[in-house]
Amino acid sequence: MTAAILSVAIALLLMPGVLDVVLAQTGPFGASRPRAAPPPADGIVGWIFAKQAEFYREMSRVIRAAKTDGSAVWTLLGIAFAYGIFHAAGPGHGKAVISSYLVANEETWRRGIVLSFASALLQAFVAVAIVGIAAVLLNATARQMCDAERVIEIASYALIALLGLRLIWVKGKGFISAARNLGHPLHAVGAAVTPHDHKHHDHRHDHHGHDHAHHDHKQHDHHDHDHGHHDHDGDEHASAWGHAHGPEPEELAGPGGWQRGLSAIVAVGIRPCSGAILVLVFALAQGLFWAGVAATFVMGLGTAITVAAIATLAVTAKSLASRVAHTRSGYGMLALRGIEVGAACVVLAFGALLLVGYMVAERGACL
Amino acid sequence: MKRFAATAFAIAANLLIALTAASAHPHVWITMTSEVVYAPDGTMTGIRHAWTFDDMFSTFATQGLESKQKGVFTREELKPLAEVNVTSLKEYGFFTYAKADGKKAEFVEPTDYYLEYKDQLLTLHFVLPLKAPMKAKSLDLQIFDPSYFVDFSFDDKTKTPVTLAGAPEQCKLTVGKPQEMDAKLAQQLSQLPPDARNSTALIGAEYSNRLSIQCP
Repeated sequence: MTAAILSVAIALLLMPGVLDVVLAQTGPFGASRPRAAPPPADGIVGWIFAKQAEFYREMSRVIRAAKTDGSAVWTLLGIAFAYGIFHAAGPGHGKAVISSYLVANEETWRRGIVLSFASALLQAFVAVAIVGIAAVLLNATARQMCDAERVIEIASYALIALLGLRLIWVKGKGFISAARNLGHPLHAVGAAVTPHDHKHHDHRHDHHGHDHAHHDHKQHDHHDHDHGHHDHDGDEHASAWGHAHGPEPEELAGPGGWQRGLSAIVAVGIRPCSGAILVLVFALAQGLFWAGVAATFVMGLGTAITVAAIATLAVTAKSLASRVAHTRSGYGMLALRGIEVGAACVVLAFGALLLVGYMVAERGACL
Repeated sequence: MKRFAATAFAIAANLLIALTAASAHPHVWITMTSEVVYAPDGTMTGIRHAWTFDDMFSTFATQGLESKQKGVFTREELKPLAEVNVTSLKEYGFFTYAKADGKKAEFVEPTDYYLEYKDQLLTLHFVLPLKAPMKAKSLDLQIFDPSYFVDFSFDDKTKTPVTLAGAPEQCKLTVGKPQEMDAKLAQQLSQLPPDARNSTALIGAEYSNRLSIQCP
């Protein structure tokens, strides 16, 4: 029991998303909320903060320099990369949504890296597209670009909220079935003879990607996320439900390939970094648009690394929690499902709070 | 034991990263000069601000604007942009917070505003009138963005970035410089409370540009 409680507590703390929501800044219409908890490390947070601003300001100086000195472009790429790394620690780069998604869906850390890179690069692409189309082709004004950005923001936040809702729906069902399982004592490994058909229909076990005769499974259109489950629960299956499964193969892409998690990638990725837009417009004005494009993608790379690192931590924490919870099959499963529902709620909370303006990701230069 | 250590590390790392989450850095830098304006009868009527935006913002803001001469924008050509700026700034109370004799002083919409484009930098000139002209023994004025997306600082290239125009002789002006950004302050800044706009107990305020005027 304590292990289950501990694992729930750990997982709740672990998600960057939870604290993100708690500490978030508000938009103009936000209500007052109590102050944040004290910081854990002296100076590190402030240092990251100061570095971000420093690198950002450097970029304009270096772009100017690049007008006359071609080698400055390399410096620009270096700074842009560093900026991306530090900047992703700030709000709005998908680290909370992606981490929570990975935890909710029991994805592997490799999948986390794929998602992080895909969404960061999509963000870079969108920034270039906005400036490319708006500024280069249409010679739009800043106001028009800001309006376009605003529309994309709303779409992104809505998609995040929808993603959260969908996750809550799916994981909520898992939680409920785990709760029901508490009533049924689980059989030991010796009961391997139990035909799995029966047990599964009882437990509405909707996570299997196997070729079982699961009528439930056909009703789902959620093929994309349920398969990482087996990484963690391979042993558990053998003991809890007496399956004669072999260990599941570790999945990198899994069935569905890069499409898995596409919803998370798109939801997070379509909102571009406002810093990137400013850099691009500035580079364009100096006649160095291509340098700006390169810097934007390099920035995206830096962002991807940081988000991937954070996502990996989240996944690791979850798997540690799951191993702890493992030891208590009934309550352990319940705790795990509870963690997943919690993570799903974080995703929804993010989307919703951003949508209503209670939380502001980045205000950029769109005053 | 190893597992516990690993878990503890994971928690600590996540906490650390999560707590950096709230720190967004400025995207706009403004250097400014301000003039506190007085009427002949010695009452303070408002503040005349001149806000110069940084090069990236100036370029972004003037993107797509029509101008007769490339790279040169006249006041007329910048008029629509000035209106847009003033309208947006209204939402944020022009980032100007004043307390006269301890009581909050209200401002109304600016009059007399225009944008100037010089040396590839945009400067917004505007007069921020007080709701009612006042005579106060002490006036405390702060200019800052509570959420720190905009960084304000008094122009350090000018000897006197803050002046009094037509003030009674005995009034004394003190300009409080923003504190140096040390680690502790930066840390505090990174955890700004939401919507702290109306509180003077803000971290942003400490870092803000503050001036006070004492009159007998």
